[in-house]
Amino acid sequence: MAKIVVLGAGISGHVAAAHLRRKLSKEHIVEVVSPNSNYQWIPSNIWVGIGRMKSKSILFPLKPLYKKKHINYKQAKAVAFYPEGDIQLENPYVEVEYVVGEQKGKKEKVTYDYLINATGPKLNFEATEGLNPGQNKTFSVCTYNHAEHAWEGLNALIQQMKQGKKAKILIGTGHAKATCQGAAFEYILNVEQELRRHKVRDMAEITWISNEYQLGDFGMDGMLLSYGGMTMKSHEMVEMIFEDRNIKWILGAGVQKIENGIAHYENLEGEFKTENYDFAMLIPSFSGHGFKAYDKTGNDITEKLFKGFMVVDADYTSKPYEEWTVQDWPETYQNPTYKNIFAPGIAFAPPHSISKPRKSKNGTEIFPAPPRTGMPSGITAKLVADNIIDAIKSGKNELQHKGSMGNMGAACIASAGFGLTSGSGISITTFPIVPDYKTYADTQGRKLGKTFASIGLAGHWLKLALHHAFIYKAKMKPLWWLIPE
Amino acid sequence: MTKRISKYQRFKMMNPIIQFFKFLYLSLKIMVIVAGGHGGTRRVN
Repeated sequence: MAKIVVLGAGISGHVAAAHLRRKLSKEHIVEVVSPNSNYQWIPSNIWVGIGRMKSKSILFPLKPLYKKKHINYKQAKAVAFYPEGDIQLENPYVEVEYVVGEQKGKKEKVTYDYLINATGPKLNFEATEGLNPGQNKTFSVCTYNHAEHAWEGLNALIQQMKQGKKAKILIGTGHAKATCQGAAFEYILNVEQELRRHKVRDMAEITWISNEYQLGDFGMDGMLLSYGGMTMKSHEMVEMIFEDRNIKWILGAGVQKIENGIAHYENLEGEFKTENYDFAMLIPSFSGHGFKAYDKTGNDITEKLFKGFMVVDADYTSKPYEEWTVQDWPETYQNPTYKNIFAPGIAFAPPHSISKPRKSKNGTEIFPAPPRTGMPSGITAKLVADNIIDAIKSGKNELQHKGSMGNMGAACIASAGFGLTSGSGISITTFPIVPDYKTYADTQGRKLGKTFASIGLAGHWLKLALHHAFIYKAKMKPLWWLIPE
Repeated sequence: MTKRISKYQRFKMMNPIIQFFKFLYLSLKIMVIVAGGHGGTRRVN
C-alpha cells in the first residue's frame, strides 16, 4: 500500500490526482491537500472579467467529486516540509493547517510515500507598492474573485463613459519581473471589444504596459511563426493587432508603485515615469509560498527543497544567456535530494528565464519571468503521476516518463473578444515552449509549421470548446482521460 | 488609428462558414502538435 499526497488542486494537482486514482487500485491512498474548496478553470477568468461569463460557469466544488472518486481531501494549506520525518515520526510528512470549519487553525502531520507539490505560484501583489486588487483603481483577473471585481470596476467605468466621461485604461504587467503576459494580452483585447459593444470605444484611451522588450515576447523570447502563408515575428503580429485596434503600448516598463490612478514605472532607459489611468488590470509577480523544510533533527534544510519554488532536476548553474540550453530545463520534476518528492506545473523552480534578461541603465532587472500555462502544467503533472504509478507497480524508480519544456509543444488560444458570431481568438501554437536555438538555429529556436498563429472567429470557438472540454475532464466524467492535457 | 487588417482579411476572419472549416483544421492541427508527444532533451549514455 502506498500513500500519495498531492498539495494543491489547480490544473496540475487535480490532473495528477485524477490520473493516480484512475490507474492505482483502491488499496493505495491518493490524498489532496488544498486550501481552495473549488476547482477553477483559470483560462476562462478573462470572460468573467468582462462580465460575459459567470464565475459559477468556470468552477465546481472539489469535495463531492473527490468523495465520489475515492480521493481523500483536506481543505488545508501546507506549512512546512519534513522529508525525513522527525524524532517522533519516522515517515516523511508535510505539516498542514486547516483553513475552514471547526478545524480551522489546527495543524496536522500528513505522512506520505510520494509527495507531489503542485502548489502553483503565490500571487505576490505586495512586491509592488499599492498593487492590491480592487484598490487604487487596479484589478486582477488571476482568480475568479479577482475577475468578478474587475468586471464590477470596468462596468462602473463603462456606465460613466456612457454619461460622457473620457477614460484611460491601462492593462499589462504590474512588476518588473511579472509573467503571464498572455492573460493580460487576452484581457486588453476583450476589454477593447466590450467597449465597442457598449458603443463607448471612442471615449477610451487603451494602453498596454509591459516588462517585455518587444510586443509578443510573452515571456518566451518571442517567436518566429507561420501566419497566413507567411513567416512573421510575434512582435509584428501583435503590433498589427494593437495598431488595428488603436491600442497604445509602453514596453520595457517595470511598474514599481501604484497610487490611486497613477502607475509609477522605470523603463530600460532608466527613466522614471508615470501613467495615469481610470481602470487598470495589472498582473502581479509570482513567487514561491515561502515554505520551510526541516530534517529529522529539526535543522533547516529549506535550500535542499526550495529556490523560491521547488528544486527539481534542472541545471541551476548560473551562466550567461548565450550559454543557456534546453538541457537546463527539468525532465522529470523530481527533487534531486528527496526522490519521492516531485513538483510539476508552476511549483518547480525554473533554471532561468526564457526571455533574454535585461537591466535598466540603473541596474534594475526588467524582463518577464518564464510562463507555465495550463497545458505544460497538465502534461508535467501527468508524467509525474505516471512515473509514480510505474514505481509503485514495478518497485523500480526508473522515471521512464519525461517531458522537458524544451521538447514539448503548447497551444495558447488567446481570446480576442467574446461572442458566438462576433468573437475572435488568436490561436498560437509553439514547439518547443523553451526555444532550442541549436536544433532550430535558423528559425529562432522553434519549429516552423508547429509554431503558427491564426486569427479569427474559429479561435473563439476553439477557446470555448476547450473551456467545456476541460471542465468535463476535470469533473472526471465518462472517458475523461481520452481528452489530452 | 491605423487600419492594419483589410476589409477582405476581416471578412475571412469573421465569416462563419470559412471559420467553421478553420475550426476543424485548427482543432486537428493543435491536437497533432500538442498530443504528438513530448520527451527529454538530455542524452543518456
